[in-house]
Amino acid sequence: MSGPLDGPHAIETVGLGRDYGNTRALEALDLVVPAGWSVGLLGPNGAGKTTAMLVLATLLRPSRGVARVFGHDVVRDRAIVRRQLGLVFQEPSIDGLLTVAENLRFAARLSGLSASNARGAVAAALERAGLAARASQPARQLSTGWRRLADLARAMLHQPPLLILDEPTVGLDPEHRDRAWGLLEAARRESGTAVLFSTHYLAEADRCDWVVLLARGQAVGSDTPARLKAVVGEEVVEIEGPGADGLVSEVQSVATVSQVVRTDRGFRIGIRGSREGLTRMAALTPPAIRFTVRPPTLDDVYFARTQGQASMSARSVDASP
Amino acid sequence: MSGFSAIHGIVVRDLVRAFRQRGRLIGGLVRPFMWLVLVGSGYNAIARIEGVASYRAFVFPGIIVMATMFGAMLTAISTVYDREFGMLRLMLAGPAGIAAVLAARMIAATIIGTVQGAVVLLFLPLVAPVSLGQWMASLAAVALGAAASGAVGLLVAAPLQSVENFAAVINVVLFPLLFLSGALYPTLGMPAVLRQLAQVNPVSYAVDLLRATLGQPAEFGALRSALALLGTMVIASGLTALIFEPERRFMFRHRPAGP
Repeated sequence: MSGPLDGPHAIETVGLGRDYGNTRALEALDLVVPAGWSVGLLGPNGAGKTTAMLVLATLLRPSRGVARVFGHDVVRDRAIVRRQLGLVFQEPSIDGLLTVAENLRFAARLSGLSASNARGAVAAALERAGLAARASQPARQLSTGWRRLADLARAMLHQPPLLILDEPTVGLDPEHRDRAWGLLEAARRESGTAVLFSTHYLAEADRCDWVVLLARGQAVGSDTPARLKAVVGEEVVEIEGPGADGLVSEVQSVATVSQVVRTDRGFRIGIRGSREGLTRMAALTPPAIRFTVRPPTLDDVYFARTQGQASMSARSVDASP
Repeated sequence: MSGFSAIHGIVVRDLVRAFRQRGRLIGGLVRPFMWLVLVGSGYNAIARIEGVASYRAFVFPGIIVMATMFGAMLTAISTVYDREFGMLRLMLAGPAGIAAVLAARMIAATIIGTVQGAVVLLFLPLVAPVSLGQWMASLAAVALGAAASGAVGLLVAAPLQSVENFAAVINVVLFPLLFLSGALYPTLGMPAVLRQLAQVNPVSYAVDLLRATLGQPAEFGALRSALALLGTMVIASGLTALIFEPERRFMFRHRPAGP
């Protein structure tokens, strides 16, 4: 299984797959999201993230495997599953012709809230999202950031125990990203809401409890962010520029290399142990080459797991999962 | 309860959207009066129709149906818009599901079509005498015509994925339905093939029902026309539900990328 196994599960999938005609968009995903956890789904475009989320949202039927939300099958118990969900898609589901409050009221009614409960839920959601001052503003006048926050407020207003968010912060400036994550963190803290999200901002995944890396429809890594980064090495040497290739073997001669990943611009080399030799190397490297030593990030994990590792010498350590 | 809430939410949204798009609303009201003035006045001088005082009195029920039909059918553009811009996904992922979405869309189309038809109906006393009873019966006929038109509009919209497509396709549907309905001229004088087409055209029955309620000569009679409109509504709704098959219900502007 690609996830933590204890506790009540907001999501559990076993061998979940989905095809579009002859194309396998999602191969066989094993995923567990315990209630109250935040799980990041990472991977390049076309990795199968959106497909997995649409199946979990009951909008696509799986081609194979099983998916359950709080123990309910997403195909057989669709109506029950839908009551547990708050959804945010890549494009905001906000109607520009309606005001912000009208959009939320519409969503509240869609989720089955009575008129009086909807009023209360909308007022609370506007307040939480910092949108109260914009409640009467037509949604088309909102900036991208506020529009996305309205979308998040919409998804959360009926206080679902599970949020499925497909790139919820795409295109947002740091201020609105921070507000968005603040909203989600508050929901987790106060209501124990589980969150499954995909993102291209890998630093955002650092804050979650568990990360699943998808590539070509398959999970290629699944662990806590800290453990995933630890596999890369204690530090990462990044070499970019002309002649970068030649420096890789030099790094291997002065440090214990855990992995070498070739990127479009050069190499990311995971290392363990002393960095003394590297400090000397950095001082002697020509200015045309960027030679940096830094702590590992989820970006390094992403490159290693989704682009494959370059061939390494006999003394390097293979750190594949 | 969740079904009722969802239907109410969707209907309110559709009505708010319709009444905020003033250009569309005004266009929907101006169009029938333009036909009445331009076509009605021209033909009034030359056309004589048996059993009706003037061509303008003859064409008025047709113009009411035109306003109703255009209003109700064009409301289906919301479904295409929502599919194109992602709102339909949201509705279909709600607990109430597809039945509530279709029912709500039908109700909204019926209301909008009825309002547009009723506005034109208000002006009927200017061209022909009408009693309160006839006026009320005509309003019911307008509502039935709006419901049938709304169902046909949804059927047209169901497989379409872009607003541009809908605009192109709906014109191809609307105008033949109007011209082959007896709204603007009697179908009795048409060539046999066109006359047969007119007899399976639901708009013919909407026009005929309205003529019957207003005491004008009617070809099919009120009961047959009302049943034909109800039948149209049921068949079109059923087909729409089938066309809205699960995998196409929430088509994206961009399909989810494959590997």
